[in-house]
Amino acid sequence: MLAYYLDLARRSLARNVGLTILMILAIAFGVGASMTTMTVLHVLAQDPIPQKSHDLYNVQLEPRRMLGYQAGQEPPDQLTRLDAETLVRAGKAEHQAIMTGGQAAIEPGRTDLPPFFVDGRWTSADFFKMFDAPFVAGTAWSEDDDLHAARVAVIARELADKVFGSIDAIGKTIRVEGTDLRVIGVLDAWRPQPHFWDLNTGSFGKAELVFVPWSTSRELKLGHIGSVDCWAESSDSLALGASCVWVQFWVELHGAERVEAYRAYLEHYSDEQHRVGRYERPVNVKLRDVMEWLQYRKVVPSDVRLQTWIALGFLLVCLINTVGLLLTKFLRRSSEIGVRRALGASKRAIFVQLLVEAGAIGLIGGVLGLGLAWLGLFAVRHQPTSYAELAQLDLPMLAATFGLAMLTSLFAGLLPAWRGCQVTPAIQLKSH
Amino acid sequence: MLEMKNLSKVYRTQMVETHALRGMDLEVRAGEFVAVTGPSGSGKTTFLNIAGLLEELTGGSYNLDGVDVKSLDDRARSKLRNEKIGFVFQSFNLIPDLNLFDNVDVPLRYRQLTRSDRKRRIESALERVGLASRLKHYPAELSGGQQQRVAIARAIAGDPKLLLADEPTGNLDSQMAREVMQLLEDLNAQGTVVVIVTHDPEIAARAQRNIHIVDGVAADLERGPSLVKTA
Amino acid sequence: MHFFHILSTLRRHKTAAALIIIEIALTCGIVSNAVFLISDRLARTDRPSGVVEDELVDVRLTGIGTKSDAAAVTAQDLVALRALPGVKAVSSINMVPFGNSSWNTDGSRLKDDPNGVSVGQYMGQGIIETFGLRLVAGRDFQPGEYVEFAAAQANPSILSSVIITQAYATRLFHDENPLGKQLYLGGKEPQIIVGVIEQLTRPTDGDVAEPGSAGFAMILPIVLPFTGGGHYAVRLDPGQRDHFLATVDATLAKVDPSRIMLEHKTFGAIREGYFKQDRAMAYLLIGVSLALLLITALGVVGLASFWVQQRTRQIGIRRALGATRGNILRYFQLENFILATIGIALGMVLAYGINLWLMSKYAVPRLPAEVLPIGAVLLWVIGQIAVLGPAMRAATIPPAIATRSV
Repeated sequence: MLAYYLDLARRSLARNVGLTILMILAIAFGVGASMTTMTVLHVLAQDPIPQKSHDLYNVQLEPRRMLGYQAGQEPPDQLTRLDAETLVRAGKAEHQAIMTGGQAAIEPGRTDLPPFFVDGRWTSADFFKMFDAPFVAGTAWSEDDDLHAARVAVIARELADKVFGSIDAIGKTIRVEGTDLRVIGVLDAWRPQPHFWDLNTGSFGKAELVFVPWSTSRELKLGHIGSVDCWAESSDSLALGASCVWVQFWVELHGAERVEAYRAYLEHYSDEQHRVGRYERPVNVKLRDVMEWLQYRKVVPSDVRLQTWIALGFLLVCLINTVGLLLTKFLRRSSEIGVRRALGASKRAIFVQLLVEAGAIGLIGGVLGLGLAWLGLFAVRHQPTSYAELAQLDLPMLAATFGLAMLTSLFAGLLPAWRGCQVTPAIQLKSH
Repeated sequence: MLEMKNLSKVYRTQMVETHALRGMDLEVRAGEFVAVTGPSGSGKTTFLNIAGLLEELTGGSYNLDGVDVKSLDDRARSKLRNEKIGFVFQSFNLIPDLNLFDNVDVPLRYRQLTRSDRKRRIESALERVGLASRLKHYPAELSGGQQQRVAIARAIAGDPKLLLADEPTGNLDSQMAREVMQLLEDLNAQGTVVVIVTHDPEIAARAQRNIHIVDGVAADLERGPSLVKTA
Repeated sequence: MHFFHILSTLRRHKTAAALIIIEIALTCGIVSNAVFLISDRLARTDRPSGVVEDELVDVRLTGIGTKSDAAAVTAQDLVALRALPGVKAVSSINMVPFGNSSWNTDGSRLKDDPNGVSVGQYMGQGIIETFGLRLVAGRDFQPGEYVEFAAAQANPSILSSVIITQAYATRLFHDENPLGKQLYLGGKEPQIIVGVIEQLTRPTDGDVAEPGSAGFAMILPIVLPFTGGGHYAVRLDPGQRDHFLATVDATLAKVDPSRIMLEHKTFGAIREGYFKQDRAMAYLLIGVSLALLLITALGVVGLASFWVQQRTRQIGIRRALGATRGNILRYFQLENFILATIGIALGMVLAYGINLWLMSKYAVPRLPAEVLPIGAVLLWVIGQIAVLGPAMRAATIPPAIATRSV
C-alpha cells in the first residue's frame, strides 16, 4: 500500500511542478538553515570528555577582601597561587591538578628552523591521567618531579614532528624559554572541545603543545597567558602571596560521598584562612563538574544561540507556508478524493495517502536541505572564529537533518490531510 | 437485498430544515433492474447517496445485503461500499492522470488482494466492457461512451452485489447511450442488482421496475402502457 | 461596502485565512526584530576608535626567556624603527583598540570605593602622538612624569598623573572640570588628571550594562619594555606601509635577534577582524529577512490563486450581474489588505514579545518604535504585490461562466 501511495504522490507532485518545487524549496531552506545552526550549537555544547565528565570538578574559593562584597556573588573563576599550591600538596581528592596557561618560545637550535612561539600548560602530574591524555610515546612526569621542579617536559606530537622530525623524541632535549628540558612524553593529537580546563585561553582554541611541571615553570618564570584578576595592589601579580587569582584547579572525585567530603574539606580550609585573617568574605565554596562548569561559564557564544533561534523561526514560517500550500493542493483535488471515497476508500486511507504525499515532499526537501546545510557549514568553517573548523556534519546530525525534514513536512501535512479526508463523497459529486 | 424502512433524511442549517426524504419504504430484491425517476429536487439524488452509503440517514433504517447500516462507523461503511456497491456517475469521474488499468484498479486497492488477483479482475472487467485492448490508454484518449464503459468496468471489477448509476447516459449521445444501457442490462442478466437514477423516460422504460420519488416519498409505478413514446 | 462581505467569506474559509494571517504575523514579528538587530550590529561596527587607523600598524613581538636588558633593547628598537622611511612616531604599548587583549582596572573619585567604574588602561610613552589622539583639555605627559614599568609594578604610588577620555571624565565628574582632580585606581594613592582626550576606545566592548563604557579609557605614563607589552604601535605614511612591513622584522632582528616576531597588522585590519562577527550576523539577518518575505509572498500567491479557482463561479456570477473587472480586482486586493492588517497587528505584538525575550536572554536593546511601521508597510506592500497576479486572473474570468452548468 505504501508503494501505491508513493506512486500516487509522485504523480500528484508532477502534476503541478511549480507548486511542488516551491514546497520542497521552503522545506529545504528551513531545514538547511536550522541544521547549520544546530550543528554548530551541537558541536559547541558537546561534552568534551563524556567518559568521565561527572567525575571531574572545578574548584572555586572566595579569597577576596570585604570591600565591594555583595551577598549572593559567585566566587572568582580561578584560585590564588597560594591556595592552589596548598590544595594540591594536601592531596585530599583522588586526583588533583594545579594548572595555568602559558606561552613559551621554543628554540629548536637548527639553522633551518628559527625560534617560534607555542602555547603551553604549566601543571602537575595528575593532569594527564585525570583528563585521559593520550600518550603516543613515553609517560607523564611523576609526583617526585613536581616536588623537585624537574627539568622535564611532555610535548605534543605536532611539536615533536616540527622540532625532531618524528614522534621519537623521548630523552631528547628541547629548549624552552632559554632552558633545556628533557622530553619524557609525547602526546597524540588531542583536542577536547571545548577546551574546558581553561576557558581563558579561548574556549575552542588549539591545544597546548608543551606541558611543564608547575614548580619548574615558577622557577623558570615561564610566561603566563589567561586572565589575572587582582583585588589589591601587588608588585608581582604572579607571586606566591599576591592578592590575585589566575590559577585553575581541578579534582577527580568518584561518587556523591567523596564529593561531599571534599566540599567539606574546602569549607574547612576556607574557615582556617578566615581565622588567620587571609580570607575576609563569608565562606563560598563551589565544586562544578565539567558540564556544569561549561554552562556556568556560558561557553556557547550567545550569537550562536541567537542564530539557532533565528533559523528555527525561519523553519516555523516555512512550515506554516507548507501547510497552506498543501491545503490548497489537497482541496483542489476534492473531486478525485470524492471518487476514491465513493469507491470505498475510508477516511483513514485518504488521510494516509495525503500524508504520504506530504512525507514525499519532506524526503526530497530533506535531501536538498542536507546539501544546503553542508553548504552552510562550509561557510561557517570559513568564518574567522575559533570554532570554525569544528563545524562538521557528523552522522547523528545527518540523521537529524532527515528527521527534521520528515517531521516538518509530516507535521505540516497533518491539517491538510485531515481536511482532505473530510471531503464527503456525496456533496463533491453533486457539484459535478 | 436493499431494504429501507421509514427512511428519512433531514438537512439542517442554522435557519432552515430541509426534509429531503420522508419516511421512505423501499425494497429491492436480488436480480432486479430498477429505474428511479422524479423531478429535480425530489430527493432522488439523496436516495442514491444514502443507498450508496455516501451519506448517513437521519431516521428509519437501511439494510444492505443483510447488514444494518446505522451501526457502522466510517471504516466499516467504506469497506461495505467497496465490496458490495459499484458506482457509475454521470460525468464518468475517471482520474485523468491514471491509465485505464490503474483507474479500474482504484477500488481494488482498498481491499487485501494480491497483485495477480487484481490484475485478473481488471483485465476481466475491461474485457466485459469491450476495452481490454486499451489497457494502457488514458481517459483523455477515449470518447465519452468509452469512458463511461471504463467507469462501469471500475464499478464491476470488485464483483459488487449492487450497481448504482446516477444518470449514466446523461453526457452521452443516443448511440453511446444505447451501448451503455445494453451493457447494464447484460450485467443485470448475469446477476447484479442495478439501480439507475434518471430523468430520461426512455431509459426508465428499459428498466424492469420503476420507482418514482416526489417530495421525498417513493412510489412504485406500474409498468403498464407507457406514458411516453419509446423510440 | 465589500468589507463585511469579505469578512463573512473569510469566516467560511477559516483555515486558509488563519494560515495567511499567522504566516504574516510571524514574518512581521521576526523581520521587525531582524531589521532592528541589523541596524544595531552595523552601528556597532561604526564605533570610532579615536585613533588614526589608516596610519597605524601594530608590530607584535616577544622575547625568548627572561631578558634583563629588555628596556635597553626596547629603546634601541624605537630608534631603529623611527629611522625607517615614512615612520612618524613609535610607541611601545600594552594593548591596541579592538585588539582583544585587555588591561582594565576600576577607577573612582573616592578612596576604597566598592563601586568603581571599570576603565581600560593604556600604557606607553608618546601614545597621544602615535595614536593621533586629540587633547581637548589639559596637557600631554612631560618626559619627567614617565616611570619605568618595573618600578611602577614594585611601587604603584610613584605614578602621579593620568590622562582620561572625555567619556570617562563625564561619567565620573559629570559637568565638573576633571583637570587637577584626583582619581583612585584600585590603590591607596590617587593620580592627578592632567589631560583629557576626545576619544579612545577600549580593546573590548566594555560593560553592556553601562552604556558608552567602551569609550572609558585612560593613559598611564609608563615606559614599557617590549616584554611587558608585546606591541609596537607605529604611525607612518600609508604609502610607505608595504615597504615598512617588508623590512620591519629584519630591522628589529638586527637590534636583537633573540626574539620572535608575531603577526603584524594594520589597525584597519584589526578593526575589521574584530567586527567580522557582527557583520556576519548582519548579513545572516538580511538573508533570512529577505527569504522570509519571499516565502510569505509566495504563500500569499498560492493561497490567493486557490481562492480564485474555488470561487470562479461566484466571480462569473458577479460579473454577469454587472461587476467590472476593476471591481473584481479591487475586491481581492481589499481582501488581502484585510488579512494583512490582521496579520500585521498580531505581528507587532509578536515583535514586541520577541524583543522582550531577546532583551532578557541576549542583552539586546529595546526595539525602537520606528521599526514597527517599517515592518507594517513592508508586509502590506508585499501582500499587495503578491495578490496582484491571482487578482488579475480573477478579473479576467468571463461572465459566461455563470450560465454554464458545470
